[in-house]
Amino acid sequence: MIGQSIRPASLHARWRLFRHHTGARWQSFLSGWYLFRRQPLGLLGVAIIIVYGIMAVLHPILMSTVWNRAVYDPIVGYDLAIQPHPTTPSAQHILGTDNFGRDVLSQLVAGAQTSFGVGILAGLVAVIVSTLLGATAAYFGGLVDLILMGISDVFVLMPAPIVMLIFGLLLRLEWPVVAIGYGLLTGLGGQAIVVKAQTLTVKARPFIEAAKLAGGGHGHIIRKHILPSLIPIAIVHGVFTVVGAVLTESLLSFFGRTSYHLSWGMMIWLGQETFRLFTVKGQWHAILPPALSIMLYCGAFYLVGRALDEVFNPRLRRR
Amino acid sequence: MYRFIIHRIVRGLVALILFQSLLFALVHALPYDFSSLILTSPSNRRFVQSYLGLDLPLWQQYGRWLFDFLRFDLGRSYLFWPTPVIDILGANLPRTLLLFLSGATIAYGFGIWLGKVLAWRRGGLLELGATLGGVAAYTSFAPFLGFVLIMLFGRELRWFSYQRFVDHNVWFDAPVTVDWLLVRIVATAFLLFGGTLLLWHFTRAVRRRRRRWSIRLAVLLVAVLAVGWAWFQSEVGYLALDLLYHLVLPLTTVVLLSFGETMMLMRTAMLETMGEEYVLTARAIGFSDKTIRDRHVARNAILPVLTRLALNLPFVLIGSLVIERVFLWTAMGQVVFNAVEYYDIPLLLGILSVVGALTLLAHIVLDVAYVYLDPRLRYAPGS
Repeated sequence: MIGQSIRPASLHARWRLFRHHTGARWQSFLSGWYLFRRQPLGLLGVAIIIVYGIMAVLHPILMSTVWNRAVYDPIVGYDLAIQPHPTTPSAQHILGTDNFGRDVLSQLVAGAQTSFGVGILAGLVAVIVSTLLGATAAYFGGLVDLILMGISDVFVLMPAPIVMLIFGLLLRLEWPVVAIGYGLLTGLGGQAIVVKAQTLTVKARPFIEAAKLAGGGHGHIIRKHILPSLIPIAIVHGVFTVVGAVLTESLLSFFGRTSYHLSWGMMIWLGQETFRLFTVKGQWHAILPPALSIMLYCGAFYLVGRALDEVFNPRLRRR
Repeated sequence: MYRFIIHRIVRGLVALILFQSLLFALVHALPYDFSSLILTSPSNRRFVQSYLGLDLPLWQQYGRWLFDFLRFDLGRSYLFWPTPVIDILGANLPRTLLLFLSGATIAYGFGIWLGKVLAWRRGGLLELGATLGGVAAYTSFAPFLGFVLIMLFGRELRWFSYQRFVDHNVWFDAPVTVDWLLVRIVATAFLLFGGTLLLWHFTRAVRRRRRRWSIRLAVLLVAVLAVGWAWFQSEVGYLALDLLYHLVLPLTTVVLLSFGETMMLMRTAMLETMGEEYVLTARAIGFSDKTIRDRHVARNAILPVLTRLALNLPFVLIGSLVIERVFLWTAMGQVVFNAVEYYDIPLLLGILSVVGALTLLAHIVLDVAYVYLDPRLRYAPGS
């Protein structure tokens, strides 16, 4: 009857619905994983990310068990036993020390924490912001679209590193600030445009029409019908944002504009500053590990992003 | 098509004005104004405020800000007081543009070509090697890549020069300045490039394939030879050669940094398009493999790539700024970092405006290219 309120479902029915949804999610995850598993480069990326993740987690454990804090601390450690201080790799210091007497391996492992923090936070912020903005703009269209895409048009003109440099003059650039700033700039800018284009194709599908006919409100349709279809592409772009964020963070700390004490970019700067790279006997052992780490870490995320793209992209999956 | 272009330009101008408004809002959101950067007495400070127009009501300041921007007046630099910001940018921009534009063009062209080839031959050492190499170069740390190239080709092999913009010994007693020559080199390159595009456009009408290509190649060859001969004959030819010689290594670095993304995008787009049914039809008709790849698949696949390329442009720009710094060029990269070092806020805002305007221009160019390449839009009714 019209006007009759829908009877709330019994607890048992809700539980069965929940189990059904969970099962369906698990099934879709499994089918995605089977597709992902077939891509060697994507698996390579996952392996590299796991290795760096282990490194980041392992650092506090190593500090409290194996490594003597006075010698191996990544920021204030100093090895008194060895004297002329930038030293080449040895048994105690597997990657050598820098000119402040700090262990390079310890710094490298601790720097992985910064990179993970910056990358994941920036990716999350960018995904959330761009999905909200793009989905809203595409769903409502008209004036809302014009205004929101106007914002995107403006933010797309701002190259993140230069804007972050200027922000560095006004506030202390701790790593969360760098991450959130980068995430906002990317999420409001280019990524929102990409997500919006994707939403337009979702919006044209029949089930949106059906949901409208069934009486779904705007919020309900966006939340329950549009966002689930957008999440895959948002994740793919979020993974690429991680790459950009870590590269930007490294650049900023390489040029000494950040105010925390440890990151791979800073290690490279110290290395090229103190190790006389361009002399006849350039010492590369301090600069190679962080530089290769940035490359491997960002490259791993990039490869994972590409592999996810092949999993989620229905036009690629068809073959 | 023309309607679309005009529409796009208007939207771009609106975005530019909004961008300037955002900068204005940003500056006025600061807890201090420009006058407080100078340590001085209160009366002096009031003078500075009135000199800079900071005592006017906010809407008048906003109006002046926008009006000044439209007149290309970006204020005066603090670091090089009283030089106008626009002069500093004008003096440093050509070199950055040279590196950025040529780097972006080469990287995009190379990336698109390589992505096309990769998608066509899936599975194999070429795909694996190019993918890994491209991604590694794309995600490598820009200064580090510069160091490696300098070390390898500059110091060990001594093939290319890696310091400064020109060789002082060659330029000793030169009749012209570097920038004078630079602008002409860029102009020549773009005339050639634009001429080639126009040539391609106007020879589309020639039906016979072999004749069309012989016309194109002959005209192009004659043009290149004529330009080369003209440069060689002029008395600044050897200076231009020196400049280009110094350009090789930075340009290589920028291209290496930026082609990987384009390659992967193009590859994905090609793979998407290859599944279409019309490709199967083309095969059934019996077109050659290369014809299908270049004319049927690549021409459709390139469209989504173009829009993504526009979004990647800032990445190339940042890459070239950093590379300039690594190769000790006196150009925008240097200006940016100096301005940050000395809190030269007008200069920084000017840089941001110019970078924004350049990005916008590139976006518009790529959008127009999109419309030109997409026949559905090119022949759309009402255009």
